[in-house]
Amino acid sequence: MVMNDLLFKALYETLLMVFGSTGIGILLGVPVGVILYNTSQQGLQPCKKVYGPLSFLVNGARSIPYIILTVLLIPFTRNIIGTSIGTGSAIVPLSIAATLLIARCVEDALRSVPKGLSEVGISFGATPFEIIRKILLPESMAPLIAGITTVIINLVGYSAMAGTVGGGGLGDLAIRYGYQRYDTVLVVLIVVILVILVQCIQMLGQRCTNHYRR
Amino acid sequence: MPSLNPHLVVQNIVKSFPKTGPEKVLNNISFEVSKGKILGIIGKSGAGKSTLLRCLNGLEKPDTGKILFQDQDFTDLSSQKLREVRQKIGVVFQSFNLLSTRTVFENVSLPLELLRLSDTERQKKVENILNLVGLSSKLNAYPGQLSGGQRQRVAIARALVVDATLLLCDEFTSALDPHTTLEILRLLQDLNRRLGITIIFVTHDINVVKELAQDVCVLDQGEIVEQGSVESVFTNPNHAITQSLLSELLKNDLPDFLQQQLHLEGKENDDVVLKLIFGSQTSTKPLIANLIQEWKIPINIISGNLDHIGKATFGHLVVSLKHQGESTEKIIKYLTDHQVGVEKAGYIRW
Repeated sequence: MVMNDLLFKALYETLLMVFGSTGIGILLGVPVGVILYNTSQQGLQPCKKVYGPLSFLVNGARSIPYIILTVLLIPFTRNIIGTSIGTGSAIVPLSIAATLLIARCVEDALRSVPKGLSEVGISFGATPFEIIRKILLPESMAPLIAGITTVIINLVGYSAMAGTVGGGGLGDLAIRYGYQRYDTVLVVLIVVILVILVQCIQMLGQRCTNHYRR
Repeated sequence: MPSLNPHLVVQNIVKSFPKTGPEKVLNNISFEVSKGKILGIIGKSGAGKSTLLRCLNGLEKPDTGKILFQDQDFTDLSSQKLREVRQKIGVVFQSFNLLSTRTVFENVSLPLELLRLSDTERQKKVENILNLVGLSSKLNAYPGQLSGGQRQRVAIARALVVDATLLLCDEFTSALDPHTTLEILRLLQDLNRRLGITIIFVTHDINVVKELAQDVCVLDQGEIVEQGSVESVFTNPNHAITQSLLSELLKNDLPDFLQQQLHLEGKENDDVVLKLIFGSQTSTKPLIANLIQEWKIPINIISGNLDHIGKATFGHLVVSLKHQGESTEKIIKYLTDHQVGVEKAGYIRW
């Protein structure tokens, strides 16, 4: 059935976009978040000159509506991927958004670790890097995963806008086939799939969070 | 307390926090601790105890003054050198500060990971020290599953696992109940005796000083107002703060019912109520028994609180005996001759 094929393809594209950008977002966002935390007032190596501009950049970019960000990033995307159209290209702005969101998550999560624990590290003669890697990051796993879960769910929403750059995905399918062709059944079906997807992500995230909460 | 073998020497430390106010949190603090000794730093809250301890392990940098650890001044070391020194100093915190996502074993092994020891070496050391603190059955438990006393044991093990020679303890008993506190004190004494570890601790609890310390510094408003051996400071407290801290140890008040019946003028057939204060080396002589035998006077012991600090008897005894003018004065003289302080509380008719 054609409809089924379309749905599966769209689901695949959505998953690819969401988890692809989450992966890249974690890779880039964790270091950025660590730098944010570490250079902030409460960090191990406070440095206003780094924290100020970086924090401003992260906040500034986050305040741009996602659809605008996608369009603004078209030249950048074309530079990296070679084209600005398609699922692969849609991952670029999504990854940027994921990086910024995750960076803040990491910063907040690290800050939630009691200060006494960094002091333990300091008193054992650990370097700031060791303190972050061995104490702060592991101890902040629970809030970190909870935060990243929220980010992933945000990304599911963002990925619906990927249609703008021909990224495909469930949201795009719902608009083109469902909304523009008055196929209400398809719209409802897609919404149900999205709801289930988000529920699954939330449940999985919750499980991971609980695993680390002791 | 100058000594030939100082482990840690603190010279004229001054510390202020310009952000919170101009007053000095620590003002010209000096003391030293010899190897294998236990020093208690006591003071009321806000006296600067915790700041002092934070200076000792380099978490705060004093404005001026020196801290010599094994003859090395670590107030002006490079951060690399400072890290090396810190690895020889164990710290135990008030709130335990254990990592909740690591098991007991992993918590204790953390400092060894930082030293990049091999797995087998770590295993051996961690098991050794956990054995020593009596927690070998809890290797794989998480801190959340332990009691307060057990958590503090883990923290002590973690502080000592690097073969630390100096242990700093910050209000380590205030999160523990009295029974557990006593257990932890016994453990520290045991470790001090067996491993020869020097211990410096801060507390607001005079009982902890009495039970654990050999030397004591009394801190008030950022200054050391009294220091010396526990025996000498406790039995002969000079400063008002020391006396008020000690009064917690000695409930100095007379029993209520007695207080109400006391009168100041002695009449015939009254008893005189004396408060005997023991504060120096008097313990070996049977003073009370001698009194009874020599003067043939029955002595009624009303209340008392006697304890020992080192070899000295320390505390007070409230007694009453038949008031007989001249002989009462002789008895008082006999006691004061034997270094017992005597206060006449009043007279009573039974």
